[in-house]
Amino acid sequence: MSYRSQNLALAALATAVGAAIAISSPASAQQSADKERCYGISMAGKNDCASTGNNSCAGTAKMDFDKGAWKYVAKGTCTSMQVKLKDGSSRMGALMPIKG
Amino acid sequence: MSAYSDLTLLQQQFTAALLAPSTQIPAAIAPTDEAKRQKRFNVYRNNMHAGLVAALGARYPVILRLVGDEFFQAMALAFIRQEPPTSPILAEYGAHFARFLETFEPTADLPYLPDMARLEWLRHLAYHAPDSPIAAIAELASLAPEKLGEIRLHLHPAASHLASDYPVLTIWQTNTHDATVQPISADRPGETTLITRPKLDVLLCPLPIGAGIFITALAEGETMSQAAASALADAASFDLAKTLAALFDAGAISHIQPD
Repeated sequence: MSYRSQNLALAALATAVGAAIAISSPASAQQSADKERCYGISMAGKNDCASTGNNSCAGTAKMDFDKGAWKYVAKGTCTSMQVKLKDGSSRMGALMPIKG
Repeated sequence: MSAYSDLTLLQQQFTAALLAPSTQIPAAIAPTDEAKRQKRFNVYRNNMHAGLVAALGARYPVILRLVGDEFFQAMALAFIRQEPPTSPILAEYGAHFARFLETFEPTADLPYLPDMARLEWLRHLAYHAPDSPIAAIAELASLAPEKLGEIRLHLHPAASHLASDYPVLTIWQTNTHDATVQPISADRPGETTLITRPKLDVLLCPLPIGAGIFITALAEGETMSQAAASALADAASFDLAKTLAALFDAGAISHIQPD
């Protein structure tokens, strides 16, 4: 069978549709079926004023974000990832502290 | 000088002072003594940064976990400085985080981070996308077989896909669901992910080879038949049956247009 044409042969389409219906098992039917939309609730960080457990906003006068700089080393999970780079080599995740 | 240009100038100075602490606070702000002026402006500046960092953390939870809290905070602040909000709507903030990560030197060792940011942003968009009915795959069975060549499949407004050279879905899943992250081997091939929100929950599912081309073609208005031909032209192993099953099962198709 040739697929060089712009369209698939009807027989191929019918076969594929039949197979698709056979292997289909809708996951969404049981998902969130018994949930309802609840208004008036913001997801964390999606409201304008991040709540910290009281009614004031997240930032405080003593916080100084500008001390940040790049003395930090990531403490996350990236070092458990080994991935292939675009040049074909592979490497474990690592984040080096950056000076300056 | 008009009142309008006075206000514009004040707003520009205010914005500059918010983003760069070394900049002078506008003279018109809180004209009490200098120490109080500084302290009060710092409260405002820190509130702004804390809110945006928290919003980015909520939007990019896997990136947050991958690099850790402290690193994420510093990285988010660098992003905020480079790409301050341009809209008053916080839900629209952070769209360019993936692009920022592409050239962000300290994470050059994590080449999959930009694609992870794209995946998390698509999840965010899916969450806020309009609701829509979902078409059932059984509707295809009710069509006369000779009609199959003409039908168009309309994508649900929340449906999108991401083709990546990296196993981003696997990385996302282990960092989202596992208390201890599973190691991921370098031999794992890249993954194409389907992002949908058929009801209220955003779903991520793997897509078979060629499905990305198929979805793009559907979105451009091609018939199912044309889209399948496009996908086959790109990847000979494209499996239309598996792709259709995956799309309908995840609620990615909202409507089947007969012709």
